[in-house]
Amino acid sequence: MSHASEHSAPAILNEVKATSLPRAKMVDNDRDFAWITDKICGIVEGKTPSWWWWCFAVACFMACFTVAGITYVVATGVGVWGHRSPVNWSWPIVNFVFWIGIGHAGTLISAILCLLRQKWRTSINRAAEAMTIFAVVCAGIFPVFHVGRVWYAWFLFPIPNYNNIWPQFRSPLEWDVFAVSTYGTVSVLFWYVGLLPDLATLRDRFALAGRETRAKIYGFFALGWRSSARAWSNYEMAYLILAGIATPLVLSVHTIVSFDFAVSLIPGWHTTIFPPYFVAGAIFSGFGMVLTLMLPLRAIYKLEDLITQYHIDCMCKITLATGTMVGYAYAMEFFIAWYSGNPYEGFTFINRAFGPYAWAYWIMISCNVITPQFFWFKAVRNNTTFVWVLSLFVNLGMWFERFVIICTSLTRDFLPSSWGYLSPTVIDIFTFFGTFGVFSVLFLLFIRFLPLMAMAEIKGVTPQADAFNGHKNPHA
Amino acid sequence: MSNPEVTSTHSAGAPASNKALTIGLAGIAVTLLGLVLSPVHIVATSWLVGIAYWCAIAIGFLLLTLIHHIFDAQWSTVLRRQFEHALSAFKWLALLFLPLLLITWFGAKDTIWPWMNPAHLLEGEGKTVANDMVYAKKSAFLNLNAFTIFSVLFFVVWIWISSRLRKASFTQDKDGNASWTKMNRMTAGFGIPLVALTLTFAAVYWLKSLEYHWFSTMYGVWYFANCMRGAYSCTILIMVWLYNRGDFKGILHSDHWHSVGKMMFAFTVFWGYISFSQYFLIWNANVPEETFWYNLREYGDWWGIGMVLVFGHFLLPFLLLLSYSRKVNKAPIRRIALWILGVIFIDMCWNILPAVKDAAGNPLPFFSLGLLWALTSTIGIGGICVWSYLKSFPTTKLIPIHDPRITESLTFHE
Repeated sequence: MSHASEHSAPAILNEVKATSLPRAKMVDNDRDFAWITDKICGIVEGKTPSWWWWCFAVACFMACFTVAGITYVVATGVGVWGHRSPVNWSWPIVNFVFWIGIGHAGTLISAILCLLRQKWRTSINRAAEAMTIFAVVCAGIFPVFHVGRVWYAWFLFPIPNYNNIWPQFRSPLEWDVFAVSTYGTVSVLFWYVGLLPDLATLRDRFALAGRETRAKIYGFFALGWRSSARAWSNYEMAYLILAGIATPLVLSVHTIVSFDFAVSLIPGWHTTIFPPYFVAGAIFSGFGMVLTLMLPLRAIYKLEDLITQYHIDCMCKITLATGTMVGYAYAMEFFIAWYSGNPYEGFTFINRAFGPYAWAYWIMISCNVITPQFFWFKAVRNNTTFVWVLSLFVNLGMWFERFVIICTSLTRDFLPSSWGYLSPTVIDIFTFFGTFGVFSVLFLLFIRFLPLMAMAEIKGVTPQADAFNGHKNPHA
Repeated sequence: MSNPEVTSTHSAGAPASNKALTIGLAGIAVTLLGLVLSPVHIVATSWLVGIAYWCAIAIGFLLLTLIHHIFDAQWSTVLRRQFEHALSAFKWLALLFLPLLLITWFGAKDTIWPWMNPAHLLEGEGKTVANDMVYAKKSAFLNLNAFTIFSVLFFVVWIWISSRLRKASFTQDKDGNASWTKMNRMTAGFGIPLVALTLTFAAVYWLKSLEYHWFSTMYGVWYFANCMRGAYSCTILIMVWLYNRGDFKGILHSDHWHSVGKMMFAFTVFWGYISFSQYFLIWNANVPEETFWYNLREYGDWWGIGMVLVFGHFLLPFLLLLSYSRKVNKAPIRRIALWILGVIFIDMCWNILPAVKDAAGNPLPFFSLGLLWALTSTIGIGGICVWSYLKSFPTTKLIPIHDPRITESLTFHE
């Protein structure tokens, strides 16, 4: 029998011989720093492509639907929306939760994956963060105009009005104001801090090319970044701190959104798993939208060396994991509704699956639980067209999830005499449809004027950035 | 070493494993002695505390191994072998769970779970289980046959997945074949959903159904949180033990400690998040069908125990684990790990023991003989689990020497 002293660690270290199973590269074809810079900056520096103008025109046209819808609502009142008692929350809050959910992936990729040292995030984090901010903008439209008299929306802020009446702090809707506005602020900050080195790169390149106006604009926003060692040190620390702050925010936002429902007594809403279930669903929908946006951009700008098959694999796997978590939550809700013995809970879930909205329920299940299961298969993940189509189903399914939760519970409440069937008005549909235009306008502007990918961060995960080439720092 | 399977030159040492076995057997013997001093149902319910506690830790280790493979993780490769040794406890846990099944089959059926006996008089309600409408609705799920089949199934799944993981990993030490890593990744793919479902339903059957009127969709997630916290805390204890012995010197460095410490911190927050969400949503809705469960836990000295959980299970570890130096220094992180393991025990007691009620339907006090038997059960079952780990420990190399990520793990830096 031997003891530790006889078998010190170096002895076993002599036996170590790792089996070869190479990791996927973060950047394919051994692209160097200059290539990465040229490729990403080239998108901003080049002539505006005609497809961009076409898309921008269509997006602006679509956005007009929201503008027109909102104008009509403000001019006439929220009665032109389709919600009627007992469904006093309908499309507006469905749309709000849908967009807020999409806004989750950006900060998740930036913050949580940063803390978890997932290097693959670097190719997609910038666009995902932009997506977050634009999705929060779209989300904000609905509750603000849902208050009815939008000029009183400031009542939501913790300022007493002229009768010295404060907002209802015990309402989760009030908590939403704080959660979403904090999330939006930190997301913008995080995005902006990450942009600084890349804005400086663009400034320098425009200056070298003699395009002084652009150089000045980018220089202004680059805050005098000079890539000094001290600047990088401060930048890294600021980024890490923001990641630490943003991580609980990612969780808190959708937790608070889930509280909008779960604190109530409505069957199908009052269930304790809502907070983590909503967070998982939000990440799921966020990644669905990242895939929807990034795959076409990858093809258009020929970014296959930067958004590699490995990146697509990772996104598909997270979509699969979160979709399965959402499936677990659906199953648990259904099971506990039966297990509780509560007839109202039981009825609500049977009604969801087999009642007048069964079509919506099964669309939800098909899109959110069955669709991601395709991502188990490598052949599916390798087929980017198929992945893109599946990501559309994920987006669709997550809108339906919110619709099912909100509308099926409310259309058949405790009082059968008030039961009804919710139908949206054309104003509901137009306003929601237009938000895709608002989102697209903002995203297209982002693609055109800001670096689509985080150049500095991508360079940091290439093999040439590792001074020790995978070996331990001998001075550590 | 007479064991032909022993391939490594390191050893836990016979005295250590013998000591663990002795402690385990002594704990079990003292618990059995409890049958003389306390009613069977108190001792049996206390035994359930020990089972729930060590199953949580073993499931946590199983999840750590599965998550390691699914993420193709780097830093945890040097620690993974210890997770795999810990998985050897499942077969013994299955054996130690057996008395609970035997009691319910051959003893008084309502010894632990009241719904198993239709004639059981519900304390404070003046009616039997058979006359209870709530039970009637869920009797298709809550019945002795289903309970037995599912309980066996849980252990079969855990043992089967553990065996696959261990076999692939240990064999790779011998042949250095990368296909074993791929096999373990595949096991992780289907293993994680399977373990998630089994641990959820184990928590529902074994713990939640103790008070079968109560329901919460979050309960499985709460148990999962404790699984992860328990496994990470035990990982720290193993790391300290092996480092102090010299085995891990030159293998572990500050970034490994920091990584485990950060995961402990993350799951401390996660436990707080889950527990708060469950409590808050039930408190806010104030529905008697749900609040009664918490009301029972505010009765007598249980209120104070609830406060211990709020401050001891969440706030104190949260504050302590914020510090970098506490995460990377062996003495403080070991103390924190021990503390967390202690409060997980209290959490299990808080969830299980109030199910033992007096004639008026009030839970027996926390500071009673039931606590003593819960403690001896936990020590006894723990001794067997540690013995099982120590028995497995010398049968393989200290670290997976041919794992594709072993070099990355040894040279890991943040």
